[in-house]
Amino acid sequence: MFMKDMNCEDILIQKSALIDGEKAELSDEQINAHLADCETCRQQIEQMENTIVLLRRQKRREQEADLWSAIEARIDAESKAVSPLNWQPFVLLGVFLVIYKLLEMLPERAPGWALRVVPFILIAVLFGFLKENPFKINSELILEK
Amino acid sequence: MMDDSAIIERCLKGEKEAFRFLVERYQAQAVGHSFAILANREDARDATQEAFVDAFQSLKKFDPARRFYPWFYVLLRHRCYKLIAKKREAQNIEDAEILAPQAGVSGEERIALEKALLSLSREDREIINLKYLDGFSYDEIAELLKIPRGTVMSRLFYARKQLQAKLTGKFH
Repeated sequence: MFMKDMNCEDILIQKSALIDGEKAELSDEQINAHLADCETCRQQIEQMENTIVLLRRQKRREQEADLWSAIEARIDAESKAVSPLNWQPFVLLGVFLVIYKLLEMLPERAPGWALRVVPFILIAVLFGFLKENPFKINSELILEK
Repeated sequence: MMDDSAIIERCLKGEKEAFRFLVERYQAQAVGHSFAILANREDARDATQEAFVDAFQSLKKFDPARRFYPWFYVLLRHRCYKLIAKKREAQNIEDAEILAPQAGVSGEERIALEKALLSLSREDREIINLKYLDGFSYDEIAELLKIPRGTVMSRLFYARKQLQAKLTGKFH
């Protein structure tokens, strides 16, 4: 950064970085050269230093927080809400039902009653696997009167 | 003490309970930061809670080469500003509660500074908090706010100037 391009505000920004203990784009000497000729900047720096001293003497008030139980409940609720439907059991059931249908279509075979209940058993197993009760009424879906 | 990356690794293996260590490690700091932006304790707690849930759900995207808190701070800030946008009609700034009583700092001085801080814009209050109450360097603030270091330098300068203007005539 060239000195000739700098105005008072630029000098003040650079000086404030030095007061904060940070690296500035200008050296102390360059800034002081400007300040030697600029009373306004000198006054502003004095005010700025007072503000910084005041701020440095402060401490943040500890905020009491015990958020884990609320966060845990939210994580559980969200994961339940977004858990994707497991599609594999449905595909497996479909395959079994197709095989069953093909077996049923084979000529010269009279499937007994045991074979006829196979689809119902498969569907019951699927519901069991998904831990879903097909007869349970979802109270959230009942419209309030 | 287990480091953050080890905790995150455990969380990614499905140990939800491990996330508790991160929450307990950073919750006070996070509520302090969101309070600095929102100036309302209840909102600060809500935003922090939401940010932790966001963090848990985004842990897969976390780069273990980075530190946890600067990454989390971006989520926290996002939640704070989202809450502000939601509550735009009814903003509720609480009474002074940011600064702790200190030996050698008069109550009058602290309250005046609190009021001046609370009257600043949220962005100005946030950057002053990060610099002077947390003691972060310009580089660290640049990382937290995702802005260049030069912008930190100038934003801090103007924020401090605003604060100075509010305080003028009180302690200078």
